Amino acid sequence: MRTHGNYIFRRTLRALFTALGVSLVAFLILHLAPGDPVKIMLGPYATEENVKALKARYNLDKPLYIQYFTWIKNIFTGEFGTSIRYNRPVSELIKERMGPTLILTGSGLLVAVILGILFGTLAALKKNSILDYITTFQTMFWLSVPSFWLAIVFLYIFGLKLRWIPIAGMTSFSSTILPIMTIGLRQQAWFARPMRAEMLEVLSQNYIKALKAKGLKYEKIIWKHAFKNALIPIITMVALQLPWIIGGAVVIEVVFSWGGMGSLLVGSVLSRDYQVVQTILLFISLAVVAANLLADILYTLIDPRIRIER
Amino acid sequence: MTSEDLSYEQLKKEIKRLKRKRSSQVNLVWKRFTKNRLALIGFIMVSIVIFMAIFSPIVSPYDPYKTNPLERFKPPSMKHILGTDALGRDVFSRLVYGSRIALEIGALIVLFEGMIGISLGLISGYFGGVVDKVIMWLVDVLRSFPIVVLALAIAGILGQGVINVVIALGTVGWTSYARMVRSKVLTIKELDYIEAARSIGESNLSIILRYVFPNVLPTVIVMVYLMMPTALIASATLSFLGLGVQPPTADWGSIIAEGRMYLLKAPWISTSAGFFIMFTVLGFNFIGDGLRDALDPTSRRN
Amino acid sequence: MGTLLEIRDLKVSFDTEEGKVEALDGVNLKVKEGEFHALIGETGCGKTVTGLTILGLLDNNAKIENGQVIYKGIDLLKLTEKQLQQQIRGKEITMIFQDPSTSLDPIFTIEEQMLEALENELELTKEEKLKIITEELRKVKLPDVEELLKKYPHQLSGGMKQRVMIAMMLSCRPSLLIADEPTTALDVSTQAQFLKILEDLKRETKITAIYITHNLAVVSEICDTVSVMYAGRIVETASLKEIFLNPQHPYTYKLLHSVLGIETDIEQLQEIPGSVPKLINPPSGCRFHPRCEEAKDICKTKIPKLQEISDGHFVACHKRVMEWTKC
Repeated sequence: MRTHGNYIFRRTLRALFTALGVSLVAFLILHLAPGDPVKIMLGPYATEENVKALKARYNLDKPLYIQYFTWIKNIFTGEFGTSIRYNRPVSELIKERMGPTLILTGSGLLVAVILGILFGTLAALKKNSILDYITTFQTMFWLSVPSFWLAIVFLYIFGLKLRWIPIAGMTSFSSTILPIMTIGLRQQAWFARPMRAEMLEVLSQNYIKALKAKGLKYEKIIWKHAFKNALIPIITMVALQLPWIIGGAVVIEVVFSWGGMGSLLVGSVLSRDYQVVQTILLFISLAVVAANLLADILYTLIDPRIRIER
Repeated sequence: MTSEDLSYEQLKKEIKRLKRKRSSQVNLVWKRFTKNRLALIGFIMVSIVIFMAIFSPIVSPYDPYKTNPLERFKPPSMKHILGTDALGRDVFSRLVYGSRIALEIGALIVLFEGMIGISLGLISGYFGGVVDKVIMWLVDVLRSFPIVVLALAIAGILGQGVINVVIALGTVGWTSYARMVRSKVLTIKELDYIEAARSIGESNLSIILRYVFPNVLPTVIVMVYLMMPTALIASATLSFLGLGVQPPTADWGSIIAEGRMYLLKAPWISTSAGFFIMFTVLGFNFIGDGLRDALDPTSRRN
Repeated sequence: MGTLLEIRDLKVSFDTEEGKVEALDGVNLKVKEGEFHALIGETGCGKTVTGLTILGLLDNNAKIENGQVIYKGIDLLKLTEKQLQQQIRGKEITMIFQDPSTSLDPIFTIEEQMLEALENELELTKEEKLKIITEELRKVKLPDVEELLKKYPHQLSGGMKQRVMIAMMLSCRPSLLIADEPTTALDVSTQAQFLKILEDLKRETKITAIYITHNLAVVSEICDTVSVMYAGRIVETASLKEIFLNPQHPYTYKLLHSVLGIETDIEQLQEIPGSVPKLINPPSGCRFHPRCEEAKDICKTKIPKLQEISDGHFVACHKRVMEWTKC
């Protein structure tokens, strides 16, 4: 048991190091800008005093490491700076936008995982059947189209032509269906393929033969033994795919005028609202780090080979 | 015949045997690849796109930049097979020229990220220790950002333009290569002849270049084909969001963005551009999958 | 003693990337009730495939071309997957495998997996089943059974796992056990222990077994009858004594001759010139002829039949059969 605790400790430590790096990237990204970030923020018509005042306000006249520590300190107190575009505290903006994004990515992920596991398992069980080929092809298809284009096509078919669903905004339940399905349908491909592979791998294991040799029912062999064994590695997969789902959601938010962090990010990038960009980058990446940590810990709790030492 | 001759003869035989074995392996891989129909289809698809890109002026019936106020929003017809856009430009011609930009950017990104990723992966795997830890930490950090999100921020800060898109996507994308190459190097490092080369005092650089890299190469080739789709889709996403290639340059992502504004009136603009992206990406995916299966058939059988 | 299982002219092939592999090419085998029947041969000769075919456990790329597997009067090859599962596997015939470390599902406890073997016994309560399981585990001399039941496979040693496997497989009282090299993956002292357990089981339960192995020492310790396999065919079958004292087939002879020194494992066998033939393109006629010093022209063209040359002694060799018929 000690080594297992040890593993969790080391894994958490690693996550903290990654979080540190992530915050550095989010912080330093502003300094990539050619020229003075403050001047860029304020635009070409800023007066010298304005620039100086803003610099002093954001500690931009201090050495880099002091700026970084001040930034981190402020983050821990919930102070993320001010958005120049909205002239409002970034924390307020994030608070507003967080909910819709969580709904979109959360439900999208759920749909993707369920569909992916379902298609992957069926394809493995009916290997080399029509169903298997269709699964191979449909996963290839979804992975080969950009999500923003998919969103536009869905919008055109279901929103403009068939008029089943409102085309934009977050006005009603039905308006959430299209964006969620766009994410879900596209990302299920990421789970269907590994799930199929895992399932086939497990089915080729010796213990499946042994289970048959003792006369266990086919259904039990598949759903109790093979399915559960195949599912364990998929847990890590889900966390690994999270960045892709978030990335896809950003553009989908833009297409569907979804008032989440994604569309806020794009708007802020385009209007050079760097405080907002920085904060959103930090939030998204920290969420990914946390999800990966969680998945790894969950994995050790589920798999008895890791949970219980010899 | 002296004993020296004999051993030389034996050595030659042994080398011949090894060469035969190697070429039969190459043959087997080639056989598996060509037997894979999807891979062959992918090969044809990509060839078509490359042909389009090289011979854009011949393939496209119109000048992609020539506007024509009288021919605005014409639906697909014999005259304009994919219709015209808001400025009366021929959509098909624009998409054909777009393949040039797309492949150029894709190739540049893959080259850029490949160079960084392969070198860092080789270093990380070969030397291990602190260097490995630092590089892997960097990989962990960068992989915590969704590619599109970080590239969006970087491109936004660097400003618009092709090179900035390449830099933005390359800085994020190299991590995949580094991880792949590193894990491959870790297994190669244990091989006897690497040990032997080290024992006779070959320099690390020469060992890496002469023994390690050739063994990593097949993996890298597969990676290139599998990473090309990511590069194509991500760069299209950036242009769609207005951060990549700027209008009026014919670029698939920005053509979709333009078409989106006239979706009800002229749905053919966005949809046909998407099909071009899908066609290209699908082609690369087929080849990548086929190559991977051919090099490592167990991955398919399992 | 009656015949419990008879394999007649069994042919099995595999589709592989390199081509069609004729893994079994006319296997004939009779297993008598109550005996331990050794199936001996080098790796790749088709021993395991024979075992898997009996239980219908072959992979999808395998094809049964011809033959019958008659068990208690029923042709097992004619049964559906469902019938095999409900009537044969576990209850009548069961199998233990070479590598105990992969024979158990890693994510379930021993108790859970042992209980599954008794799942078809609907009239038993869980307590009764647990009692049977405990009993079976004690029979294979496993210590601390109560504690053991709560453990996961990775917490057991290879020898313990193999004992769990055999206890599990025997808990529903099958008539025939197919043991596919059950001691190969174990170290020497564990092997001896495991063989002792098998001997005890043989005495106490009167179970019939097909014991697949390439280890002659094991054969001499617990088997009654020996069938020698070579390249997908049975070349000789006889009682243990006959095989060791009066081997007839040149392959058997060489096998024993070269092995009966210190080494008893065929896999360490180097003395027979030539190598095991590839079954993609097997030699014509008698498959052993390229390695046989006594080979004649007929051996290259005609497949020798397995023929009885004395009571219970069968051999598939043109030369030997001719000699015997002359006498």
